[in-house]
Amino acid sequence: MPEGRSPSSPRTLAEALRARGDEDLAALLRARPDLLTPVPTDLTQLATRAGTRASVVRALERLDRFTLQTAEALAVAPDAASYETLLALLTGDEGDPDIEAVLPRAVAVLRGQALVWGGDDRLRLVRTARELLAPSPTRPSPTGLGPTVAEATAGMSPGRLQEILTAAGLPTTHDPVSAVAALASLFNDRSRMAALLDTAPSEALTVLDRLVWGPPYGEVTANPTPPVQWLRDRGLLLPASPRTVVLPREAALHLRGGRAHRTPEPVPPAVRPAAKASMTEGRPQLVDNAAAGQAYTALSTVEDLLKDWHEGGPAVLRSGGLSVRDLKRTAAALDTTEQMAGFWLELTYAAGLLAADGEADERYAPTPAYDDWLTLPASERWARLAAAWLTATRTAGLIGGQDTKGRTLSALGPDLDRSAAVEVRRRVLHLLAALPAGTAPDPESLLARLRWERPLRGTGTPDLDRNVARSAARGVPTDLRSRVAAWTLTEAEVLGVTGRGALSTHGRALLGRAAYGDGATGDGRLAAGPIAAPSATEATAGLTAPSATEPASGPAAPGLGAAAAGLTAAPWPGAARPAAGQPGGPEAQAASAHALAPLLPEPVDHVLLQADLTAVAPGPLQRPLAETLAVLADIESKGGATVYRFTPASVRRALDAGKSASDLHTFLATHSRTPVPQPLSYLIDDVARRHGHLRIGAASAYVRCDDDALLGEILADKRSQGLRLRRLAPTVLAAQADPATLLEGLRTMGYAPAAESAEGDVLITRAHARRTPPRTAPVPVPDGPPVPDGTLLGAAVKAIRAGDLAATVVRKPVPEPAKNGELPRTTSAETLATVQAAAMTGAAVWIGYVNADGAASQRVIAPVRVEGGFVTAYDHTADEVRTYPLHRITGVAELADDPA
Amino acid sequence: MNGPLIVQSDKTLLLEVDHEQADACRRAIAPFAELERAPEHIHTYRVTPLGLWNARAAGHDAEQVVDALVAYSRYPVPHALLVDVAETMARYGRLTLSKHPTHGLVLTTTDRPVLEEILRSRKVQPLVGARLDPDTVAVHPSERGQIKQTLLKLGWPAEDLAGYVDGEAHHIELDETGWALRPYQKQAVEGFWHGGSGVVVLPCGAGKTLVGAGAMAQAKATTLILVTNTVSARQWKHELVKRTSLTEDEIGEYSGTRKEIRPVTIATYQVLTTKRKGIYAHLELFDSRDWGLVVYDEVHLLPAPVFKFTADLQARRRLGLTATLVREDGRESDVFSLIGPKRFDAPWKEIEAQGYIAPADCVEVRVNLTDAERLAYATAETEEKYRYCATTETKRKVTEALVQRFAGQQILVIGQYIDQLDELGEHLNAPVIKGETSNAQREKLFEAFRQGEISVLVVSKVANFSIDLPEATVAIQVSGTFGSRQEEAQRLGRVLRPKADGHQAHFYSVVARDTIDQDFAAHRQRFLAEQGYAYRIVDADEFLSPK
Repeated sequence: MPEGRSPSSPRTLAEALRARGDEDLAALLRARPDLLTPVPTDLTQLATRAGTRASVVRALERLDRFTLQTAEALAVAPDAASYETLLALLTGDEGDPDIEAVLPRAVAVLRGQALVWGGDDRLRLVRTARELLAPSPTRPSPTGLGPTVAEATAGMSPGRLQEILTAAGLPTTHDPVSAVAALASLFNDRSRMAALLDTAPSEALTVLDRLVWGPPYGEVTANPTPPVQWLRDRGLLLPASPRTVVLPREAALHLRGGRAHRTPEPVPPAVRPAAKASMTEGRPQLVDNAAAGQAYTALSTVEDLLKDWHEGGPAVLRSGGLSVRDLKRTAAALDTTEQMAGFWLELTYAAGLLAADGEADERYAPTPAYDDWLTLPASERWARLAAAWLTATRTAGLIGGQDTKGRTLSALGPDLDRSAAVEVRRRVLHLLAALPAGTAPDPESLLARLRWERPLRGTGTPDLDRNVARSAARGVPTDLRSRVAAWTLTEAEVLGVTGRGALSTHGRALLGRAAYGDGATGDGRLAAGPIAAPSATEATAGLTAPSATEPASGPAAPGLGAAAAGLTAAPWPGAARPAAGQPGGPEAQAASAHALAPLLPEPVDHVLLQADLTAVAPGPLQRPLAETLAVLADIESKGGATVYRFTPASVRRALDAGKSASDLHTFLATHSRTPVPQPLSYLIDDVARRHGHLRIGAASAYVRCDDDALLGEILADKRSQGLRLRRLAPTVLAAQADPATLLEGLRTMGYAPAAESAEGDVLITRAHARRTPPRTAPVPVPDGPPVPDGTLLGAAVKAIRAGDLAATVVRKPVPEPAKNGELPRTTSAETLATVQAAAMTGAAVWIGYVNADGAASQRVIAPVRVEGGFVTAYDHTADEVRTYPLHRITGVAELADDPA
Repeated sequence: MNGPLIVQSDKTLLLEVDHEQADACRRAIAPFAELERAPEHIHTYRVTPLGLWNARAAGHDAEQVVDALVAYSRYPVPHALLVDVAETMARYGRLTLSKHPTHGLVLTTTDRPVLEEILRSRKVQPLVGARLDPDTVAVHPSERGQIKQTLLKLGWPAEDLAGYVDGEAHHIELDETGWALRPYQKQAVEGFWHGGSGVVVLPCGAGKTLVGAGAMAQAKATTLILVTNTVSARQWKHELVKRTSLTEDEIGEYSGTRKEIRPVTIATYQVLTTKRKGIYAHLELFDSRDWGLVVYDEVHLLPAPVFKFTADLQARRRLGLTATLVREDGRESDVFSLIGPKRFDAPWKEIEAQGYIAPADCVEVRVNLTDAERLAYATAETEEKYRYCATTETKRKVTEALVQRFAGQQILVIGQYIDQLDELGEHLNAPVIKGETSNAQREKLFEAFRQGEISVLVVSKVANFSIDLPEATVAIQVSGTFGSRQEEAQRLGRVLRPKADGHQAHFYSVVARDTIDQDFAAHRQRFLAEQGYAYRIVDADEFLSPK
């Protein structure tokens, strides 16, 4: 650590970074890739960015428990603490060789991640990190420590300080700063403090005991009890608010023997073998067999699932995914739980064997890749599935749960991706790989280990992961990572990656070379994944500071060493991912399939036929054989073997599929190891005898005749060819032509056929008479008006007379069109006549018009057309063609002739 | 990886019989798996919850079961199945019925939530009394059977450790002069006695009566024997007098005609289930003595009311005897919870191989109906169809031909329809035993048949059960109770008693081709086919053709 030894200490993080070598910077960027986007322009910018809250939170989140504890200890130490101070905070007064051994590494990690800078004499936590980790009243630190004396006495009256000093037996001073310093140094001084506490009443010590490991705050009443009063007098309890007191940090540290944490955890908890693992321990063969069996089951489950959806699966929900009902149905079809059905669906989806078809009415269906997949050997089929599972971010375990908005997460639906899943999954498997072969872990210890590597809770930054906070709020016992880890264990078992809880050989192969421990170079780093850095503690012995560019060279010991080697290598995977040898990569898949192949049952080419009409295939059948047999018999029981039952219905099915009875006999005789039992032969013959006994076809007409010879004659006649006649029985011909054509045809051939009704009666043919439904005769339309009768004529004449009188009497002249803004008024008849006339002549008229709102206006229009109570006109006023309802026109007047 | 066993995911086990480890494997899985089918090459066992609980009751644990499966399995055993086995077995024994010195019968649990769960069930509530402590609840002693039945249905079978009353002691010894219990009979008796109560499954003719006698000799207490009918009751009596120290006077018959209650009483199901004025008039029989043992013959026929009575007899040892646990009414679980689990089971073929039952040649004779008969059959009413095709003229002719072929041997002709039997009797010149035949007459005829005075006997279904006719070597079945599997087994059983000269038995089933008779026959044969009796099919013309 060059900066640790440099004579001139850096003054800022940027300076500290500047002093680093390129490799160190590269390591920093690899560990915190978020600093790299966008690429910072200079180190100052890099340092600033490294100090941003989001980035620091992200970095802290990824620390293992001890490194985090180290950071927490630094946060409660005075800024720029020395390495010794830090060590004392972690080990306490007694010291702890374990911590002494691993602390340099923890500090190196923090420094490497630019969370801590400065030399060993002045270790400085990045300010943001300090803010995040230091205790404050709103956010208690996991250390359980309170504020320092200085912080707690800020704003206290000097008089009160004097009283405290006096009570504590210190010389009084008027300067508050030195007063606080004096008090702090008293608390820091072990012997003087001990002497002070010796004088304390025993109840007071009980009070302190309650507060010492935190939370350091206590409520007090207005009139505190004497022991509390005693403590308050001496500053051992300082007021935090009117009703609460706090135990100052220095005092707490004294009471704790100098330790910042009650239980520092320098060493990762070991993953213990499960208690019931005794049976498989040292018998990896048993594990492999169990896993292979499960692998085989997994394959057939996936095949069953997709066979079920062969002709189109269920519909895709509008919001994406599979409906709950379809999931239930699938679970029932697979004879499993919905949770497991969800897993299988997600697995096939992740492996690209299943997808939505993208049609307008979207449904799920197997992909073309499924057909290719089917042609692969069983072991490779499995390897594909397992690899897909290993690298998938989709998390089937979430199915059925709810997202943040309370929507149910559906299988194959959106929002199932959890980036942490891949990482946790791999980590779990690597931890399994680290156990001796054939050993199943105790799941609790495994979870404990994962929690140590990524302590998400109680970090003092509970808002780091909203998921956790939420699940905690809902009362879900564990955080996402633990849940993913638990799912991983179940899923690995179901998939056959593990057998009886222990990692199988093919599962190990799937993890890539790293898991084998041979050359954990760049690949190993990837295998270790993002959790790598913290776990480096495992390899304290013999391994120095993590330097990613420096491969953990040399063959590590297989087994336990393997994972450790992989872990030490890299804090964070870089952008470049080597394709080969990575977990689930093609190379790993091939290795895994190779390891699995001998464990899977060989396809058999024969069945055992039994007299109870069953056939047993004592292993997986070769595909063509299985397909034929599945038609010929009903499957009664599946598993390692298949039991078929022959029933009349199943035999008929085979006959329907175009097999003949002798085909079936030959097929059974060829593929049976045992003689074909007699009842089975009888069954086939019986069904075959009746099969096709009744024949069904379509004909459009028939010819019936009691005289066979006549029908023979018709058939022999060339002219009948167009009728497509076929002899069904001696006295019946069937024709493809319709009855009318047939009749016509036979007539032209010189026969005298008679038509038959459906009931067999002879149809008497008549001239074709077609009738309409009942209709009334049309009403005559005369050329003029009807001849009026007398009454009407009388009335008409009377009316005409009256009208004539009215027209001829002298009357007032028609009112002049109003001038000066007054609307013209005319009767509607006049209006109509005038506009009609204007339309004929194309003249413009002047109208008064009231619009729909009742507003009156005057317009000059040139009527174009008058019809249906509307006048369409060119409006000179508005300079456009408009339509006016006649009833809105108040009046109309012709324009005076333009003099021009 | 080359074991004889294939474990299927549907919890059936396929055992390859010809494998060298087959025997060892059979022994390993027998405690927990039920033999379901035993055809010639591959036997099918089924792992059922009942079977697993049986194994638990017999002191096996899940580890052993898993080990047996894994050790003999040819292919890896599905993980889910192993988990299920462990979980199912763990359900047994969480609840125990036992005797409490002060509270009488109590139900205790080792797992409090289970007790809470079952106490919440409305069906359990009326059966239990006060909660004595968090883990114990009192049970009404009269509900011992009820609660076992109910708990089994809820999936939490209770282990019955409440013990049995000894009953009134009565000296019974086996009188093994000139004969001895066969090894499997001894095993059966031991299995039963060790288990306390339960069912012994043995093929017809394999000496179930002697297992009963052996159990009585173990119990040395007054015994109530329930049998199917009077003839069977007489045979039990006869056999007991012959094989044990019991004398004629110590054995009573409780039937329609006689109502004797003696230290050993043999009662028929019929008399027990007779209702008079709406009540079962003869129930007091169960309380008339302090029975130390109750034997149920032909458990698979146990009428429903007897289950009800049996529920009240839980403090007494119960032995069920049967050739098959297949019940056409599917009440196997009631047999399990009320009489007890299966304590012994031997495949038919195995006992045949040991020479204790006669080897049998099963033949299905397919009769072609004449055209006239076919037409009549085709137009018959649906409910009349079976009767019609089962009683055709052609069948009669074939039967006569068969009887002729085996002339000189002891032949039973068994049928369902009385008029058919009468007609056959007439043509064959043989006596007919049917429901209306008096018991005395039946006895007389059976005895004459045993003595060889008459060689052909036409019997209706009254002779289905427990009629000991050791010398019958040929049975011809002309019609049956539709598709009853157990009837077929019983009828075959008529000819399976080992023959004096050790020759083969013949079982002919005459079936009308292309009718529902054939469908029923196929169904009837299924049980026997599964027991390894391969039916041959022969065309009737073979017998009819003049030779």
